Amino acid sequence: MRLTALFDELLVRPDYAIARADIIDGICAFRIWTRLGWQEVKRRYRRTVFGPFWATLSIGAFIGGMAFIWAPLFKTDVSSYLPFLSAGMVAWTFATALISEGCGTYTAGISLITQLNFPYTVLNFMVVWRNIIVFFHNLLIVVIVVIALKVRVSWQTLLLFPGIIIVAVNGAWMTILFGMVSARFRDVPPLVGNIIQILMFVTPIFWFSSQLGPEAQPIITYNFMFHLIEVMRAPMLGTAPSLLSYAFTIAGAVIGWIVTFDLYARFRRRIPYWL
Amino acid sequence: MTSIIASNVTVDFPIYGAGHRSLRQTLFAHTGGLIRHEGAGRQQRVVVRALDDVSFTLRNGDRLGLIGHNGAGKSTLLKVIAGVYTPDAGSIRIEGRVSPLFNAAPGLDPDDNGYENIKTCGMFLGMSSEEINSKLPDIVDFCELGEYLELPVRTYSTGMVARLGFAIATAIEPDVLLLDEGLGSGDARFAARAEARMQALIQRTRILVLASHSDALIKSMCNRAILLEKGRLIEIGPIDEVISRYHERPIEAHVA
Repeated sequence: MRLTALFDELLVRPDYAIARADIIDGICAFRIWTRLGWQEVKRRYRRTVFGPFWATLSIGAFIGGMAFIWAPLFKTDVSSYLPFLSAGMVAWTFATALISEGCGTYTAGISLITQLNFPYTVLNFMVVWRNIIVFFHNLLIVVIVVIALKVRVSWQTLLLFPGIIIVAVNGAWMTILFGMVSARFRDVPPLVGNIIQILMFVTPIFWFSSQLGPEAQPIITYNFMFHLIEVMRAPMLGTAPSLLSYAFTIAGAVIGWIVTFDLYARFRRRIPYWL
Repeated sequence: MTSIIASNVTVDFPIYGAGHRSLRQTLFAHTGGLIRHEGAGRQQRVVVRALDDVSFTLRNGDRLGLIGHNGAGKSTLLKVIAGVYTPDAGSIRIEGRVSPLFNAAPGLDPDDNGYENIKTCGMFLGMSSEEINSKLPDIVDFCELGEYLELPVRTYSTGMVARLGFAIATAIEPDVLLLDEGLGSGDARFAARAEARMQALIQRTRILVLASHSDALIKSMCNRAILLEKGRLIEIGPIDEVISRYHERPIEAHVA
């Protein structure tokens, strides 16, 4: 498709009333999306011993194996590296699952979208809710590490909960935006998958941000993913996230929702045509 | 007052990922909507006009049959009334709760058991939890699946899934009921009971819109009909007239 044609498509007149109604009705239909999210997790429990904990186990095995290689490699001791790595990986898994699973929100809902008129955001909130449930499964790893290595637990640990909410609110607009773009352009999901993989190495999860020289700090400062991780990781390690991280993530939620709302108002009606 | 007012409804489907060569056969097709190529050269886009300037009004008590060849726009029109597709031009105004029964069990998951699916599908058909709970004994009783309802739906036979879907779908209380070729309903003994239940559902529906290729089905359920051809409304009126018009008309190709 030519860029001019793409530009023409972007000039569609937005219908804010429809977009607002969809989002409000979607939120009000919390009985449906909480139920669908739970059902999805329950399905993973069936006929397996560990169910959703298989994902937890695989993250746990990865962390356990890598910590003993990377700790000496990065010249830190395992007892301080392991909590950092596990908290970072669990937070990273949650944040990036929202993006990558968000890409498939509408394409997976094809049978519903092409047959019924309902608030499509129900599907988005379902993805977010399901991933919150999975996050609490994975959190077990951090809990075990924190207890085993006697990591400091303080009142600041409670900041994890606002952190989860901030990430979930960001995740909600991401699933709508990436879901829409992926429904129209089928190249997007694999592209997003690739970018996430690269970001994993650019974002300080395996290494400490202090290990990067001062001249390279902007790589971290302007990395939105880093701040998204930090508002959850810092509390898990018993410290408060920096105000900068809160500023970035809250601003990201506001700007992301405004942009997504505008695009949703323009293209919501096109979604069934794209599927 | 339940009503449907369609004014100059036009629906275009942009076709994504269709190579031009693969469209050659479609171009010479005798049925289907009008195919158009927008733009020139590499910017060319293929657009199918599925509905073209369709207007009609339906009120309480109207049972409308949609008649036409494959691809004439019957299903698209049903989906416009259902609110799935927003028209590109024109408008559709609907008063009342619309229940599209294109697929008996929207959101059905084969890994969930019968009871869980009754709840999920019921929610997607627009029922509240209380409504589903009050309808549950009726649904369970009608589908006659007994203890199978405790098992995952993937263990059901095709006919059993159809029974479950039919029992859920026909439990709704719609103002406007949309049907595409009726609903499948399992074996012969069940079919007789299904017929009665379907009639009861239609009785308590204010407006029915049914798309079908079966003259008999349309004649038994409807009191008005629309003839669609290549997305255009050719005729609206009493069933017998519209059906005979349909059989008289020659099939012709329209390629622009």
